Amino acid sequence: MTSKIINMAEKIKDAQDRMLDSMFHSDPIADDGFSNRVVRRIQRRLWLRRLSMPIAIGLGLVLAFQPALDLLQTLAGLLDTMPTQNISVPAGWIPKLQNVVLAGMLVVTGIFGLRMLED
Amino acid sequence: MSALQAEDHQLVARVVSSQDTAAFGELIRRHQSHVRNFLRKLTRDASTADDLAQDCFMHAWNKLPGFSGRGSFIGWLLKVAYTTFLQSKRKANRYSEILAQAGHVADAEAKSYTVDTDEVPDLEKFLAVLSDEERAVMVMSYACGLSHREISDATDLPVGTVKSVIYRGKEKIRTHFDIKDHKHG
Repeated sequence: MTSKIINMAEKIKDAQDRMLDSMFHSDPIADDGFSNRVVRRIQRRLWLRRLSMPIAIGLGLVLAFQPALDLLQTLAGLLDTMPTQNISVPAGWIPKLQNVVLAGMLVVTGIFGLRMLED
Repeated sequence: MSALQAEDHQLVARVVSSQDTAAFGELIRRHQSHVRNFLRKLTRDASTADDLAQDCFMHAWNKLPGFSGRGSFIGWLLKVAYTTFLQSKRKANRYSEILAQAGHVADAEAKSYTVDTDEVPDLEKFLAVLSDEERAVMVMSYACGLSHREISDATDLPVGTVKSVIYRGKEKIRTHFDIKDHKHG
């Protein structure tokens, strides 16, 4: 009720208001492809956003593969130098380097796949 | 809520839930004229206004999940348009300052608007005597037909301030152009 009264009060216009109404009035602007241009810009941006993640992951994998391999080899070397008699683990518990790399890649691919499915 | 507003809100829901570009395209088609007219009156340059309108809709796309749906969509959109305008104005001002420091005369100064009060006052001259804030509020009120509450939401000004800005704008126009009420009554 109060808001209706406020709206009515706003609508009571004096002569200058009426003059300003007519001065400020302008004809509608034709779309002329404006909306299509904006939508195309948005679609381009969406595609870039969708592509950027896989590309970044791919690049990251390529760039990080060799250093990660070196790191794992170093770690494996360190494990070899440890006195094995002090470590009582079941036989075959320490994974081989190839298995570690394979598991890592599977995890990354899995995350990537889930993300694609989500999109 | 009007049928048009309800349809707007449905389209917004489709955009937010599934990034539906077709629904957003429909929203643009519905409101581009208002937004472009608003920006044309603020910038007083059609091509600059259209560039800003494109940026405005891009920002709107990004910010749409933040639209609460309480007010009208056009009110919210004009808020985004006004923010886009202010940001571009700030950038232009910084550019002018850099040019001034470098000893050049900024384009903006060269293009400064002159008001010829001898001629019959038209909208361009009315707008020229107003500050950016006054111009935005007056355009929202008289050209876009927004209520004081909607203008308040769009400009982040209290409703009382919106009213006083409109009053001040009208006073400025009245004094600059020596308008008597009975002349236009």
